[in-house]
Amino acid sequence: MTNATATAPADFAAYWRRALDELAHTPAAPEISPLPIRDTDYATMHVVKLTSIGPYRLFAYLSIPRGDGPFPAIYFTPKYQSVPEPIPQGSPNYLRSRFVTFALAARGQRNSDRPYAAQFPGLLTDGIHDSQAYIFRGIVADSVRGLEYLLSRPEVDAARVAAIGNDLALITAALHQGITHLIATPALFVDTADLAARASDYPLEEINDYLNLYPDRAAALRETLAYFDLSGFAPSVSAATLLMAGASGSLLDAARLSAVSAAIKGDVSVYESQSSSYKDGMRAEQWLAERFGFADPILPEHWQ
Amino acid sequence: MPRTIPTDYRCSVRKPDDFDDFWNAVLSDAAQIPLNAETVPDPLRTSDDLETFQVFYDSLDNVRIAAWYSIPRERQGKLPAMVFLPGYQSDPAVPKDWARRGYAAIAAAPRGKLRSNAQFNPGYPNLLTHNIVDRNTYSYRGFYVDAWRCIDYLLTRPEVDPDRIGVAGSSQGGGLSVTAAAMRPEVKAASIGAPYLCGYMDAIALTRTYPYQEINDYLRLYPESRADVERTLAYFDGISFADRITCPAIVNIGLQDNVCPPETGYALFNAIASEDKRLYAYDGHGHEAGRYKHNAVIADFFRKHLQDAGV
Repeated sequence: MTNATATAPADFAAYWRRALDELAHTPAAPEISPLPIRDTDYATMHVVKLTSIGPYRLFAYLSIPRGDGPFPAIYFTPKYQSVPEPIPQGSPNYLRSRFVTFALAARGQRNSDRPYAAQFPGLLTDGIHDSQAYIFRGIVADSVRGLEYLLSRPEVDAARVAAIGNDLALITAALHQGITHLIATPALFVDTADLAARASDYPLEEINDYLNLYPDRAAALRETLAYFDLSGFAPSVSAATLLMAGASGSLLDAARLSAVSAAIKGDVSVYESQSSSYKDGMRAEQWLAERFGFADPILPEHWQ
Repeated sequence: MPRTIPTDYRCSVRKPDDFDDFWNAVLSDAAQIPLNAETVPDPLRTSDDLETFQVFYDSLDNVRIAAWYSIPRERQGKLPAMVFLPGYQSDPAVPKDWARRGYAAIAAAPRGKLRSNAQFNPGYPNLLTHNIVDRNTYSYRGFYVDAWRCIDYLLTRPEVDPDRIGVAGSSQGGGLSVTAAAMRPEVKAASIGAPYLCGYMDAIALTRTYPYQEINDYLRLYPESRADVERTLAYFDGISFADRITCPAIVNIGLQDNVCPPETGYALFNAIASEDKRLYAYDGHGHEAGRYKHNAVIADFFRKHLQDAGV
């Protein structure tokens, strides 16, 4: 990893090197099986099982276009929700004709919920009093493991691998250079404790709930969150990046993300939300199509 | 430019002749099951200004259902109450913000959602097509009742004014709000956002996105089941429920909704029987259906119909 920013803990790089070393010593032991109900005329769907640190067994969906590859790939990193999606809700299924798609359920999410079933709300503060015990240390490792598997697939064009998601997409791009293109919408790990104090909506409200019940753990919470703040990861991101900020004036608007965007090594564009999933989604689809060399993006019916 | 959506779009669903008999029988089955409500204080989500509880109750097939319940600490007289119903993939949020506005607020997790999945857990995707060829065991038969039963819970609460109950949700929560407003006369106002579960058979032709895509996936594998699927869904289609809604209702849709086609939103709105109804169609918006602007409309709507009604 590139040296983190001045605000990151002194042992930031060492903390993550230990996690990645642990991952490297954990055999992935992949299994793949067909999922015919999600097959189409243009793509096949598969269930993948993988092992991450712990050891912990994970679930993922892998879709492969029919025909001759290699194909560009999209890695949908785990979101902050209990449900892993084969492709994100609202994405045109026909996307699977053009891209290998891979969607991982991190530990605690459905299908990766034995023995640990995450709670929503609840996941964000699980083990947060101890940076070694914090659940997101394992979740980050899970996400990297998923990428490693995706890159091992012969159908994937390694020159065109996009990660799309929230904080985990950016963190994964920092910890593994196999991601060539990144669309990240930060939601959790930017000045988390400070932003939570100004928020009343979940998931950041989980931080407020936690500190309300355990005020004596405030310092430990901040200490743990410092290892996860995106400002620490940004200098290691070399992928071409579209950073999706919140609407102007919102908690995670472009101004708030300026330190993250400025620190990213790769070519970075910042898009500020128009408070419309249509307009925001169109921007992301167009950016990816342009960057991957396609004349047009594949759009859902009501965006055409 | 995105397509123009006909405002008079009509969905193909036809309400079954025995629709009322079917649901009356379901309600009769449910009535045989005691609520067995439990109200467990949740200190983690309780603060100086409000109390939060984890609620549990029994529903159809004796499935145990969980919910979040928040109430303001400072109360003068009985409170208006809000029922919040969740989206397809999301888990219910703790409704603390509405407690802060002076409501008793409950957010249900129907069967299969986190904390309500010990006895029934078809997963996502799969919930939408679980037993879809049999209306008597289709997943949403119990799921709908689970949503409606949290009104029974509210009726047990001494702090709740039973004459001032509202229901709200978006996406699946919008579809569930349609059914709750139709089936429960206690509902006095309904806010329906980007309604899912409305015009199913049209939706699977109008869009190829999940979750409706689950039905296309199913029919690709089992094409011979199409008639059975269509027959079942007619009993569960929000448009079949809509002529039973007589309370004030607002509906918001996004004209570029890539999940729940706006055509089906228009069809639902046109079928709602209420005299006091209003549609907010947001051009330039997708499945969030103008939420950032519309939240203020929802707050005003319930203030008028629930809070001011108690003055």
